[in-house]
Amino acid sequence: MNTLASFYREREQTILGGGFILLLILAWQSIPSLVSLPKGISLFFTTPVEVVRAFHQLVVRNEIQSHVYVSAVEFVVGLAMAVLVGLPLGLVMGRSKILDAMLDPFVTAFNATPRLIFLPLLILWLGIGIWSKIMIVFVGAVFPLLINTYEGVKNVDRVLVNVVRSFGANEWQTMKTVVLPNSVPYIVAGLRLAIGRALLGVVVGEFFGASKGLGFMIATAATNYKVDVVFVGVAIFMGLSLVLTMSVKKIETKLTRWRPEAAKTF
Amino acid sequence: MALREKYDEYQRPILGTISVIGFFLLWEWVATYVITVNPFFFTQPSKIAVAAKGLLFGGELWKDLAVSSKAFVWGFSLAVIIGIPIGVFMGWRRRAEYTLDPFFTALYASPLVALAPLLIIIFGVGLTGKAALIFLLAVFPFIFNAFAGVKSTDRLLVNVVRAFGGREKDIYFKVILPSILPYMVAGTRIAIGRGIVGIIVGEFYAASEGIGFAISRFGDTYRLPEMFAAILVLMTVAVVFTEGLRKLENIVAPWKAGQEAR
Repeated sequence: MNTLASFYREREQTILGGGFILLLILAWQSIPSLVSLPKGISLFFTTPVEVVRAFHQLVVRNEIQSHVYVSAVEFVVGLAMAVLVGLPLGLVMGRSKILDAMLDPFVTAFNATPRLIFLPLLILWLGIGIWSKIMIVFVGAVFPLLINTYEGVKNVDRVLVNVVRSFGANEWQTMKTVVLPNSVPYIVAGLRLAIGRALLGVVVGEFFGASKGLGFMIATAATNYKVDVVFVGVAIFMGLSLVLTMSVKKIETKLTRWRPEAAKTF
Repeated sequence: MALREKYDEYQRPILGTISVIGFFLLWEWVATYVITVNPFFFTQPSKIAVAAKGLLFGGELWKDLAVSSKAFVWGFSLAVIIGIPIGVFMGWRRRAEYTLDPFFTALYASPLVALAPLLIIIFGVGLTGKAALIFLLAVFPFIFNAFAGVKSTDRLLVNVVRAFGGREKDIYFKVILPSILPYMVAGTRIAIGRGIVGIIVGEFYAASEGIGFAISRFGDTYRLPEMFAAILVLMTVAVVFTEGLRKLENIVAPWKAGQEAR
């Protein structure tokens, strides 16, 4: 008995946290057998077991693979473009006062606005194919990356910059030896935010004017009242988002361990 | 020389204004003289200005904004009313934190917008569906910021209240509430951004009125100047709110409190 108590005390956090989620899933599963749902609600209702079964069916019938593939391509290409544009622009804005002052109004305005409002415009320009989705992922993800890189460059230790300068380093060498290494934790934090925005772009972009992809699958399933398929899609997005953000967060804590607590949340 | 000093002092706003004005002038010039734009796919500032005038002085846009704001206010108030108590409770009771934190973190980190089609089918295309979506997106910043605010409460102050015979209620109202305020401002800023996402997605997906619906309808009917004007209006609203709250954040908490989204 005593060992059980100490076992619980050591792992209280995991047991309570995991237990609560398990309990919720069990409660969800047992609703239909406890209360008889009225017809109107049972149309929208599904249970975890049915969701798993639907997922299995989709995989076996080879229906989900192409959706996952299209969504993955949109996500990866859009995010890669965001990194390729956001990082250099953030570095330049952080180093050049004039460019910073000139670009700041645009960056602030676009960052404050959910970029999803450009979706109808992008669909008009690029059609309902994969490129409008890649662009919506790109505009969603580029600003957190740009702004965090900028913050990282701005927060670089002036003393270090002056030291390499006095030893005759040019702008490129300063960038390479001091500025970039110093901003890596910020960039990783920006990447974490960007992943969230990119997934948002994939989901919403595929809701409207798409013919493939997980978001499209969710939207069509919802209109056909296939609630279990909706939850399959939602669960995949949740899982992906959790795995990706948690692993980036791991890297982040590793990189920022030496940093004072206040600097971690920006 | 004095002019030079003045310039150095106001360099940022001057350069910023110049670049914004320059951007629109260049756009206008290019669209008029260099490349003649296809009006179905692109437009230019002068036409946007005319369209904006029409929208702002006609009643249409205001009606759309009113419809969207109503859904926003409902969803957002619900998020405040439900989110803050949960967050405070989580921050105050260790076991509550252990129990609820993994679940809420998972929900906060995932793109809950994916549930939009389902919510709209369940709650309908009107106010309720949109408000539910906005609530779902906006509630987590409030939960986690209230939580972080309580966590940062000075234990000493709590002990002082206790030592002078204060009750649980006094601790909540005299210590915890004031110390979570700066976090609340940060939470509000993040929640507003997510709430606007909710409005837009809800109205793109299925609606018959509202600002998001207006933008997508202008796009569908190739009325590009009106579309750009509506986008600019929404951008202005978003900038005013987020930048205003950021300013407020710097006033109530110059040391920068609050959790960034995700």
